Amino acid sequence: MTAGTVGRARAQASAVAREVGARLKAADNLNATLHWSQAALDAEAARVETLDPASPLYATPIALKDNLVTPEQPTTCGSRILEGYVSPFSCTAVARLRAAGAIVAAKANLDEFAMGSSTEHSAYGRVKHPLDPDRVPGGSSGGSAALVAAGVVPAALGSETGGSVRQPASFCGVVGVKPSYGRVSRYGLVAFGSSLDCISAFGRTVGEAAQVLAVMSGRDELDATTVDRPPLVVPAPLTDLKGLKVGLPKEYFPADLHPGVRAGLDRTVAAVRELGAEVREVSLPYSRYAVPTYYIIAPAEAAANLARYDGVRYGPRKIGPEGDIRALYRATRGAGFGPEVRRRILIGTYVLSAGYYDAYYRKAQTVRALIAQDFQRALEPGGVDLLLTPTTPTPAFKAGEKTEDPVAMYLADVFVCAISLAGLPAMSLPVGRDNGLPIGAQLIAPSFEEGRMLAVGGALERVLRADEEVR
Amino acid sequence: MSWETVVGLEVHVQLGTRSKMFCGCSTAFGDPPNTNVCPVCLGLPGALPVPNAQAIRLATRAALALGCTVRPRSVFARKNYFYPDLPKGYQISQFDQPLATGGAVSFDSAERGRITVGVTRLHVEEDAGKLLHDRFPGKTAVDLNRAGVPLAEIVSEPDMRSPAEARAYLTTLKQLLVYAGVSECSMEKGSLRVDANISVRPAGQTTLGTKCEVKNLNSFANVERALHAERDRQIGLLESGGRVAQTTLLFNAGSGQVKPLRSKEESHDYRYFPDPDLPPLVVGAGFVDEQRDALPELPAAKRERLVAAFGLSAYHAGEIAADRPLADYFEAVVAAGAEPKAAAGWVLGDVMTGYNESGTFRVDPARLAELIGLVARNVVSQQAAKRIFPQLANGGGSAQAIAERLGLVQVSDVGALEQWVEEVLRAHPGEVERYRAGEKKLIGFFVGQVMKKSQGKADPKGVQPVLAAKLGDAS
Amino acid sequence: MSIGREQVLHVAKLAEIGVDEADLPKLVEQLDRIVGYVEQLNQVPEAPAEPFLAGPTAAPLRDDVVRPVPLERPPADFAPEFRDGFFLVPRHGAMEDL
Repeated sequence: MTAGTVGRARAQASAVAREVGARLKAADNLNATLHWSQAALDAEAARVETLDPASPLYATPIALKDNLVTPEQPTTCGSRILEGYVSPFSCTAVARLRAAGAIVAAKANLDEFAMGSSTEHSAYGRVKHPLDPDRVPGGSSGGSAALVAAGVVPAALGSETGGSVRQPASFCGVVGVKPSYGRVSRYGLVAFGSSLDCISAFGRTVGEAAQVLAVMSGRDELDATTVDRPPLVVPAPLTDLKGLKVGLPKEYFPADLHPGVRAGLDRTVAAVRELGAEVREVSLPYSRYAVPTYYIIAPAEAAANLARYDGVRYGPRKIGPEGDIRALYRATRGAGFGPEVRRRILIGTYVLSAGYYDAYYRKAQTVRALIAQDFQRALEPGGVDLLLTPTTPTPAFKAGEKTEDPVAMYLADVFVCAISLAGLPAMSLPVGRDNGLPIGAQLIAPSFEEGRMLAVGGALERVLRADEEVR
Repeated sequence: MSWETVVGLEVHVQLGTRSKMFCGCSTAFGDPPNTNVCPVCLGLPGALPVPNAQAIRLATRAALALGCTVRPRSVFARKNYFYPDLPKGYQISQFDQPLATGGAVSFDSAERGRITVGVTRLHVEEDAGKLLHDRFPGKTAVDLNRAGVPLAEIVSEPDMRSPAEARAYLTTLKQLLVYAGVSECSMEKGSLRVDANISVRPAGQTTLGTKCEVKNLNSFANVERALHAERDRQIGLLESGGRVAQTTLLFNAGSGQVKPLRSKEESHDYRYFPDPDLPPLVVGAGFVDEQRDALPELPAAKRERLVAAFGLSAYHAGEIAADRPLADYFEAVVAAGAEPKAAAGWVLGDVMTGYNESGTFRVDPARLAELIGLVARNVVSQQAAKRIFPQLANGGGSAQAIAERLGLVQVSDVGALEQWVEEVLRAHPGEVERYRAGEKKLIGFFVGQVMKKSQGKADPKGVQPVLAAKLGDAS
Repeated sequence: MSIGREQVLHVAKLAEIGVDEADLPKLVEQLDRIVGYVEQLNQVPEAPAEPFLAGPTAAPLRDDVVRPVPLERPPADFAPEFRDGFFLVPRHGAMEDL
């Protein structure tokens, strides 16, 4: 079974729709999808067949994380509070993909409102890792990652707030690319942490992810945080990395790093050197504060972003015993949000509340600036061109392993969070396996230098055998 | 003990844009409920705000009209609270970095003469929707057409010392904002809303007393009434040994009373923070200059100019300058050749009466100037002109043509005047006797009779010498 | 600082989230753990840092044109309670004052 190809010319869209339907059915045990139907696939195929076959994503089936709004299927964000909700408008990025010939294959399962690192926090059940059903695929875009890893689709959209594409890409052994903040419109991405949220792409290969990202990118007049730059251009593949300087931030290679991950990174560094790049150690001292900083800023923004789910205008409504508007709010929101979302809303409310704002929120903003400054210094002219780190501290962990301790779960994002805070582009590249579980390496580029990063990622992809054991 | 009242006002004005603050929905008033709504102003998942350039232009003009400093960089912030008229669960407003700060409004206070009230800040925000409590039994109905309409909030310093000063401030503020083309400022349509903060303190004390906020003020007159009621309530409390508790009160226009909000929530904690959906609002010097250039001459400057350039009395100049269309009309009449003082008399008289009734100017300024010219040249009398004016409004042609058609052209011909004078003197022999016996004030009576006899056509200036001659004065 | 039962109830009220009494002890414990964790930012010495902005440094402004993003389905289709063009909520409490 093959997953089709991004941009496959003259593909029969209807044939692709049938193949994808069959693969979705076969992958049902992963619980990676929330909404799909053969009828919707066929309708997509019929639409695509009216388009120019030379369109860059012609007849390419793509799965969408279910926090990207689409008028054709429900958008639940993995939450009870949006059960049955069908958006009356479309996400800009998705509209661009569809206009470029993509077939929306399915809406993928996720941690509720993208809050989580294991896709165990979905109201519609956890997603299983395609290589080991007892393990998690990472999160929060675990459904999208699993669908690509299982060969159901060649590419998928996820969203990143603090690593939610790179981390599951690493766990599942696929490519996950987060663009610079502002590169892709957030219009139609259900907001979690607005200053961090980025629609991001999964692909089986760097080229596939890059193509999807390129089509989505560019200014959108409906999102004031998109940057007015020309869309991303998919870079030509590099054959060597001569002249390139790659930095290894020492804080990202702690002594207790998982040996499999270390081995994976060792072979990646070796490949970088072999391709002619210069490798040097750099320091990003403030990155050690990234996770606590993130867990102040993201929940603060989330607490406000999720205030709109109040049972007044849309979504299911519950009315508490008092029967008044406050009871409506409390019952609707109390029952509608799962435990992790509730925790983050409460934390976010707390860090913004009178008397605590300065100690938490303001302080976190200061540290965020320091974290970003570290990256800027390391990546400025005279420094290095790219940074290379592990994507995750361990390979995919077991389901249930971290659900009781929220902080332990948060630390799964220890290597990806800082980049989100700094708004930089980054990607996870599969570089090998350890005991059968994929290991990912992370490349980090300066703002809006996705092209450089993807070109280097493509070069490494050609020399690294991602399905080989690393030790 | 004598008490001093201290008042500060928060005024919200709707910025006169076609579309909403952060989305492309219409701001039209009175459309069917929930028809001017979109993903953004419904607070749908995934929607994002984009600021309206015109709203920023108008807010900047308002700030400049109030003498504020416009800050080159200001920040939109989220004000978080739950209410069914607030779709996102937060209002996009500005908090610690507003668009403009430090302005002033000057006006005449009955008690203190010319005073200046400080404007603490002006910021931009979005409006909430509208709730209807009496439409469906047991239900509150939510209409979000108004949600997202752009507002400027203008906060004054606590510089007013009486309810009357509060009202005068509002009148002046409204005049400025209407002038600047920023807002319609209609309390009926909700495009101007006022919340008042009031406290009292013993005269001479410099620290402020505990303030209360009065809401639900639907006219300037009611602002004054409500502040009177609240001032009396606070003084009553203090004089009976009580204390003022900081509260929010609602004014009931029917009873003229204020009453505390029945179910006051515990003190609000709005958890303001910068809106991550919106980069800072950056207004360059060029932008600010453009808005300054777009401002018309403001009432105070216009008043001074009308006095200096046209020799109007300060009172007439003030009355004309108070209303921009009226002032524009006045200037058009003068530009068409009318003598300014005479034009002022017309504009503040018959013109204003018609304007107040219909809101429009029905007489073309050039026609009015012509009429004023006819009076000046004694072609028609002032009385006749008053009869010609309504005809001008009805489009009856030129003033001269109407005067001729109605037979109102003044007669200055001495022969004709002598004939009327003789007829009048013959008809009133008794009065002629008394005049000749020294009752000289009867001259006015004779002039009036001549005017009556001539149906207003006799030129009064010509009548006087003829009368004098016939009565034997001239000898 | 640590977060206790009263504070959790307070923020739950601010956030309008109903919390069952039975869930409260565990929730307090977890939130306290999270607050204790993020507290480590106190160790970062105050350092001068330009405020960080991820996206554009100035908000782009939109022309004042009436051009809403159209709704593919009307509010009546997604509202939990909708009548005669209005969203409906229970009428009670503080709302009657205003």
